Amino acid sequence: MSGARPGPLAPGEPAPAPQAAGPGAHPTNGLDDTVHQRHRLGILTITAEARAEFGYLRGALGLTPGNLSRHLTVLEEAGLVQVEKGYRGRRPRTWVRITGRGRAALAAELATLTELVNRHGGTPAEQPGPA
Amino acid sequence: MADDRGSPESRRERPAGTGGQEDGSRAAAEASPADGAGPADGADAAGGPGRLLADLAGLRRQARTVRHGYWFPLVLFGLLTCGAAPLYVAAAAPRDTSGAYATGRGPLLLNGFLPGGGFYIGWYWAAALVGGYLLTVAWYRWHARRAGVATPARGYLITGVVLTVLVLVIPPLTVWVPALSWIWLPFGDVWIRGTLAFLIIAAGLWMLARVERSRALAVIALVYTGAALLSSLYNVENIAFRLGWNPGRSAFAWQLTVLPNVLLPAAVLLAGGCGAFLAQRARRSTA
Repeated sequence: MSGARPGPLAPGEPAPAPQAAGPGAHPTNGLDDTVHQRHRLGILTITAEARAEFGYLRGALGLTPGNLSRHLTVLEEAGLVQVEKGYRGRRPRTWVRITGRGRAALAAELATLTELVNRHGGTPAEQPGPA
Repeated sequence: MADDRGSPESRRERPAGTGGQEDGSRAAAEASPADGAGPADGADAAGGPGRLLADLAGLRRQARTVRHGYWFPLVLFGLLTCGAAPLYVAAAAPRDTSGAYATGRGPLLLNGFLPGGGFYIGWYWAAALVGGYLLTVAWYRWHARRAGVATPARGYLITGVVLTVLVLVIPPLTVWVPALSWIWLPFGDVWIRGTLAFLIIAAGLWMLARVERSRALAVIALVYTGAALLSSLYNVENIAFRLGWNPGRSAFAWQLTVLPNVLLPAAVLLAGGCGAFLAQRARRSTA
């Protein structure tokens, strides 16, 4: 599946629109390259739950600051998240909030992934129990 | 998310709060390439969509667990309700020997229709409701800074303050504009015992259950709403009497019979708050 998909976007690169998956089309046609990257999916999933601070995202996703910044830039340029910079005392704090477009993109991605699971069936190794 | 660092199992080994993130990020940096965005990082390469969906569900659950902080408003309003109990006892004392009930002055819908007028009850609740809602929002802001995940509590604040202001302005408004007397209809009899504040707290809890996306809080709100309605529409002392409670025959003992109406909702809040605190602490320690 990953072979049919181009690599992740570089910062500044415009996000290509997902191809419409018509009737009978394979669900992967509906995947959005900007969203379909596990860390970006993680960022969108967490921020869909609540506005999240940079440090929390870094810890929860296990990313370096530079790596997380790069993913956030891609998502922000695609209009999927808003990054709010502020201070707590003298310490800079960066909060990340999902946009309406980000919620829609995440919902579409999750629907596609669910369809893939339903289409191909999940082996026990692929569908572990709840964490 | 096939690699260990992204799996929920590995996340359990490090604290979810900001305090533990330095170590978690450093460990991840050592285990991963610097850019972390190569083709092998694609969602599919990480063990299939089923595994990915499970990992995303784990991330969402973890964020929800960390951001939950509803034990605080439960305990706060439970304590504020207990703090009002002496005022209810005082207001149950007849002002004269006629036995007539008085509405007194002050915020009428919060005063109730009590023998002693309930003047202090009304103003106590006006201040306690606004103060309680503001303190709760301050708590959520502090909790968000500490945890790194924020619960949007603005809707909760707006709900509580708007309802409080409404019950403060409706009685004088309907006096000045008699055509608006129909506004009293929705209140029915739920205000006469001076317990309308309990229903405002209940409305806030429902709003909070929505923004917290917590079924547990929804259950607590449901039980509390039931207790608040019972206290507003029925003399709970009758139930207490049947259960064997008998404060005595003196005049002061008679005043104490209002306590079950106040302490029942308070007990629900305090029990719910303490239970939520313990449950959230246990969940965070295993998250």
